[in-house]
Order: sequence, then C-alpha cells, then structure tokens
Amino acid sequence: MTTLSPTAPAARAEFGVSEGVRNAYETELQKMMAQLTTRVLVLVCAIGPLAFAAVLKVQSGTPSDALFGVWVHTSGFAISLVILGFAGSWGFPIVAGVLAGDLFSSEDRHGTWKTILTRSCTREDVFAGKLLAAGTLAVGLMLILAAMSLVAGLVLVGPHALVNLSGVLTSPGRMLALTIVSWLICILPLLAYTSLAILFSVATRNGILGVLGPLLVALVTQLLDLIGKGVIVHELLIGSAFDGWHGLFTSHPFFGQVLVGSLVSLVWIAACLTVSWRIMRRRDFLTGVSGRGPSWTAPIKVVAVSTAVIAVLAFGCSIGPTGVTAYRVAYTIGREFNNVTLLQQQLIGRQVPANARLDIEPNCNRRATKAVGPGDWNCTVYVYLPQAKSVPYQLTSVEYDVSVQYNGCYKAQSPPAFLGGPTMLAAGGHNVTNPLFIVYGCFNIL
Amino acid sequence: MLCQLVRCCVYCRGVHAVRATGLVKRFGTTTAVDGLDISIGSGEVRGLLGPNGAGKTTLLRMLFGLIRPDSGTVELLGHKLDHLGGDALDAVGGFVEEPSFYPYLSGRSNLRLLAKLDGQRAAAEEIDDALGRVGLGDRAEDRLSGYSTGMRQRLGLAAALLRRPRLLLLDEPTSGLDPAGTRAVATLVRDLAAEGVAVLLSSHQIGELEKVCDSYTVMRRGRVVWDGSAAELDAQAPQSAYALFTSDDVRALEVAARVSALRIQPAARGGLAVAARIDDMDELVAALGDSHILIRRLELTVSPLESMFFALTTDHGAEALDALEPQQLADTILAGA
Repeated sequence: MTTLSPTAPAARAEFGVSEGVRNAYETELQKMMAQLTTRVLVLVCAIGPLAFAAVLKVQSGTPSDALFGVWVHTSGFAISLVILGFAGSWGFPIVAGVLAGDLFSSEDRHGTWKTILTRSCTREDVFAGKLLAAGTLAVGLMLILAAMSLVAGLVLVGPHALVNLSGVLTSPGRMLALTIVSWLICILPLLAYTSLAILFSVATRNGILGVLGPLLVALVTQLLDLIGKGVIVHELLIGSAFDGWHGLFTSHPFFGQVLVGSLVSLVWIAACLTVSWRIMRRRDFLTGVSGRGPSWTAPIKVVAVSTAVIAVLAFGCSIGPTGVTAYRVAYTIGREFNNVTLLQQQLIGRQVPANARLDIEPNCNRRATKAVGPGDWNCTVYVYLPQAKSVPYQLTSVEYDVSVQYNGCYKAQSPPAFLGGPTMLAAGGHNVTNPLFIVYGCFNIL
Repeated sequence: MLCQLVRCCVYCRGVHAVRATGLVKRFGTTTAVDGLDISIGSGEVRGLLGPNGAGKTTLLRMLFGLIRPDSGTVELLGHKLDHLGGDALDAVGGFVEEPSFYPYLSGRSNLRLLAKLDGQRAAAEEIDDALGRVGLGDRAEDRLSGYSTGMRQRLGLAAALLRRPRLLLLDEPTSGLDPAGTRAVATLVRDLAAEGVAVLLSSHQIGELEKVCDSYTVMRRGRVVWDGSAAELDAQAPQSAYALFTSDDVRALEVAARVSALRIQPAARGGLAVAARIDDMDELVAALGDSHILIRRLELTVSPLESMFFALTTDHGAEALDALEPQQLADTILAGA
C-alpha cells in the first residue's frame, strides 16, 4: 500500500441540491437493481402474465370469482383485467413491500448509514433519492406487468371484443384504451403503498416488518371490506383506491371512486413521507450495524399500534352512508340482465332491434339480518314476455345468487336449470361463453 | 469553482480544519460528551485517546454529522456543520468504527457507488488507483461478503481517499490490518499531513499513534482531560519505564544512583528496570558511557504517552505514578493497558 496524494476537494458547489438528489437517486437505483429480490420481481412481472395466460389457455376452467374472469377464454383484455384485479388486492402491496420495505432498514442492517451520510450529499438528498428510486421501480414494474399482461392476453387469446360491466359487448379499441387507463389509475395507490412501506422501514428499522407491512395492510383492508356498511372509512383505505377503475367499464361510467381514490392516495403519500422524513431528520445514527441493535421493542410497538388502529377502523366501518342498497343492486342487475339477454339472443343468431328493451322487474334481497351492505344477495328478475293471447304477456322469472362486494361490484350467477351452463352453442356452431350464466357488474356506491 | 477558491483562501488563512466548541451529547441519563472543545489545524495529525466509554466515537459521529449534539457547534474546514450533512462534509473523509459497505456488491462497485454519491462522474481511474494503493487491486471484483476484516478496513481507507479529503477522521484505521498494512497506514497519514491534510486519528494502539501524531487529545468520561503537542506531552508526562541491559549491571546501579530524578532496580527477568523522564535518561546514558559501561540493549517499555494516558485516564495521578518503583510502574501501566 503506498500513498495517494490529496487533490482538490470534491466541489459540491458545482452541483446544487437537485444534483445531490440525482446522485442519490442513481445510486439507489444501482443498489436496488443489484439485489436479487428486485431482479426476481422484474422477472415475475415480465414472465408471470405469460405463464398465467398460458395456463388458462390449456385448461377449460376460469378464475370466475375475479371481475371479467369468466371471459378469459374469449378476450385477451380479460386476462389483463383479471391480473390487474389480483395486483390491486395483493400484487401491488407485495411489490411495494419488497421494493421499499427494506430500503431504509437495509442501511441499518448493513451498517451503511454512516458510509453514505458522510459523503457529499445531505440527508434530504439521500431521502429523496431513495423515494424516487423506489417510486421509479414500483411504477416501472407496474408498467412491465401491465404491458406483459396485455401482450400475453392479446397474443394467446386475441384482441376480441369484451362484455363490459353493464353487459354490453365493447369493441377491442375501446377495451384497449380502458384497460390502459385502468392500469394507469393504479399508479397513485401503488405509490401510496410504496410510501407506507417506506414509513414502516424508517420507523421500525426492521426489514421484515417493512416488507410485510403493506401486505398486512392489504389483508386488513380485505377483511374490513367484509364488515360494516359505511363508505367513509372504507374509502379512506389505500386498497379501496384500486377499485376506481371499475366504474370506467360500465355503459354509464362513473368517476367518483377514481377521484376519491386518487385524493386518498395522495393524502397517504403525503402523510407517510412527512412522518418518515421527520423520523429520518431527527435520527441519531449510533452504533455500527444498527442504530438500536437487535430489539423486539419496535415490532411489539408496531403490533400494538396496528391492533389499536384495526380496532378503530373496524368500528369506523359502520359509520356513514351505506353504499350497497337493495335499490342499487336491483337497478343495476335489472339493466344488465336486459343487456346480456339481448347479447345472448345475438349470439344465437337472432335479430335484435336497436335499443330493444325487455320488460323486466328485478327484486333483490340481502341474505342476512341487515337489509343493506355487501355480502350474499338473492335477486329475482321477473320477465314479462309479450304474447298474442288474451293475457298480453307471459311472466317468467330468473333467480340469481349475487355476491356483492363493498366497492359495489358483484358477481351474479344463476343455476344452470334457468339459463343453461357456462357455455352455449353460438350461431356459427361453436361454443361460446354464456353471457347470462355469470354476470359481472358494478354500481356507484358514492 | 467559487467554492474551491473560497476553500483555498480558507486554507491560506490557516483556518482550523476542526473547531468544535461546547459539545454536549447525552443519551438518556448518560452524558457521553460533556462540554468538549477541540480544534485541529491544517496538516496537523491529532491522536484521540481515551478508555472505552470516554466519548471518542460519539465525538467522531458528531463531527461526521451522524448524531446531533445537544449543544455546541462544529465547524469543519470553515463550514458550520449541521447534522444533516452538506457543504461542511465535502472535503472530509474517513470512517467511524469499522467501515461498512454493501455486501452484495464488489469492492469496486461499492467505491463506484460512493463516488457517484460524491458527484464524481468520471471516477473510474481514481477508483482503480485507490484500490491499487490500498492493495485491493486484485480483489476489486470480489463481493464484499468475501472480504476479511482487514480488507474491509483497506476498502474504507480507499473510500476515504477517493474523496480527496482535506480532513481525515479515522477511527481505529489499523484494526484488523497486518503489520505491513499498519505501517502503510502510518506512512499514508504522514504523507497526507505533509500535503496539508488534517487528520484526527482515534486509536487504542498508543504505539501507532506515537509514530504519526503531532499532538494529542485525551478524553475521559466525555471531557478533554489533556490536549497539547507531542513536545508538551513529553515535558509533562510522568516517568517512562525502560528495560536496560548493560555489560555490568552492578556498576550501572551505582552510576545511576548519582542521577537524582531517576529510579532504577534490577528487573525480575534480568537486566535493569528504569523509571525516568527523557532528560534524566539522556543523563544516565551519558554517565554510563563515561564510566565505560556498555549498553547492550535499551527498550522503552512504557512510553511518555502511555504513562500520560494512564495517569489521565485512571484514578492514578501523575504523582502517584512517579512514586512507583520502576518495575512496579511498568507492571502497573502495562497491566492497565
């Protein structure tokens, strides 16, 4: 080892704060991309949709519990939308947790805070660089997932028209636009989950809690969706923001949930990052490997606080107006039944006049003590069929078991005895999906 | 550019590389640093000593901006330091406790990453140079997880040098290094100091500090208990201990008895044990020569810095040490060390 002559000091003045952030950002990106977990995530997002579509291609079953699930053999757009639905529930929280949940705590684990904070960048630079890197990768992974899900669907199934959430066959062009917009709508809630993961990472300095935190929040959100009938607390949860795109796929689109979800996401982002920065700013970086050393104090505190928060949220879920009412369910089911019945007639080769309407009367009841709220409903659709007799109509009825979610989306299924099985013979002699067998729909809960 | 010009002017004016005043840091009820003042000039190599828990590492962390002092101010190279980093750290290199890096990256990638954080865009050659100079050129592509403690220490030095520092803050830089590496660090520090780089060197290896330091700061219980140059230390230090082997120990004892401020006795392991200040030792050596007694070996068993450190950081005062018999002095201090 010989000597190294010192030269002029590194000139910070040559680059301002924004340059410092840029340096920190590039550094963080480089570090994240060098880690196995990030590479695995990229691989999963790139190959996962292809594998999913390929598996569906070789089997007859469908993920019918997911919106559009019954249509995965009919239109490639359904593949992308089913993946989007799953990603909103579980995929994005996992991506956010893995990318950002260990972003700050890993510096504690490796003892590297002292290494990076003693270079020519401020804490603000490092903090902002990490945020931007996590956000960039999260959005990048989402875009990869979106693109690959579309590619997988369109290549393996085809760019065919898809029945929308009002039971109307929608053109491929419009479906493509709506699908792309739907993915883009999820950017803000994804960033909200990413911010939450950052908060977990900064506050607990524990990588496990940081990674699992968003996933646990997603799980709690799913559980809270099952209880209570009020919309206020539900709409304030990050998970609800992923439901905003549903309204775009109805014949009379509604945008309230998109706007509320976006605003809620922004509030979460601002709150999580503000608290994270305050913690980071005030922090003393003490021992070599970890500021606090191995301790269960932080996890116990987190569990205690989380339990209290969940209890409050569970109580709060009943507060406010009810989104799921008998009128809304019946009105939407009735309108959609009209549309899918006409679609079925077209599929079997019958002429359907423009603006044709059935004379129907839906009646929906919730199968529980409370008459409103998400859960299992039973809908009877009374159809008045015209006939040339003394009685001008023939009354028939169709029973639907309807599973209504908190967000106003439902899956209605009728026993095969009423409307036939999941597939039917079309006019061309080939089997097609029976649009009346399983019906997906959404109504505005706001 | 303007900033570099200002910085040059700052050095021309001889502004302190480090000027910390009234630093206080408490952790709960423990006061780790208690009203500490320290200043280090350009080109000065300052040794920072103190027993475990004296507050050395806390002081270094405050100088690096890693922890916030409860009160007091820090100026580095003329820039006031706030605990969020920034301009004050631009020309500061070094590490506190063991250097830490990302285990999933290679040594070269770690340095490249740190160079990027410093805003150095074309640092590839400098990185190669720094790696070569610390003896890691052939292991640069290995992942950090395969590095030994000494290799990490070397990489820490390379990372510090990459910043082209005007101030080096080093915490136990020779920990884990082999003897050759230790000597190389000493050479490196002296060479840097010769070019005007100020160095604050915290170490428990007093022998190593003596080889490179111009001045010392001794801490105990969060306070500076002694601060001064090497010459001042030699003058103020209690007696040092020597092992003396002569051609005639009996006559040497008679000669030594004539040197008033010196104490000497036969050592348990042969030879003579001497307790003396440096001037008295010079007098003894001259007297032995005048008496035609040959000195076959003369070893410094306890240096002035060691005896000073012991006196300042234990409940033994300098006077108490001076009262000890030579063998007892050496045994006491060496046992304490």
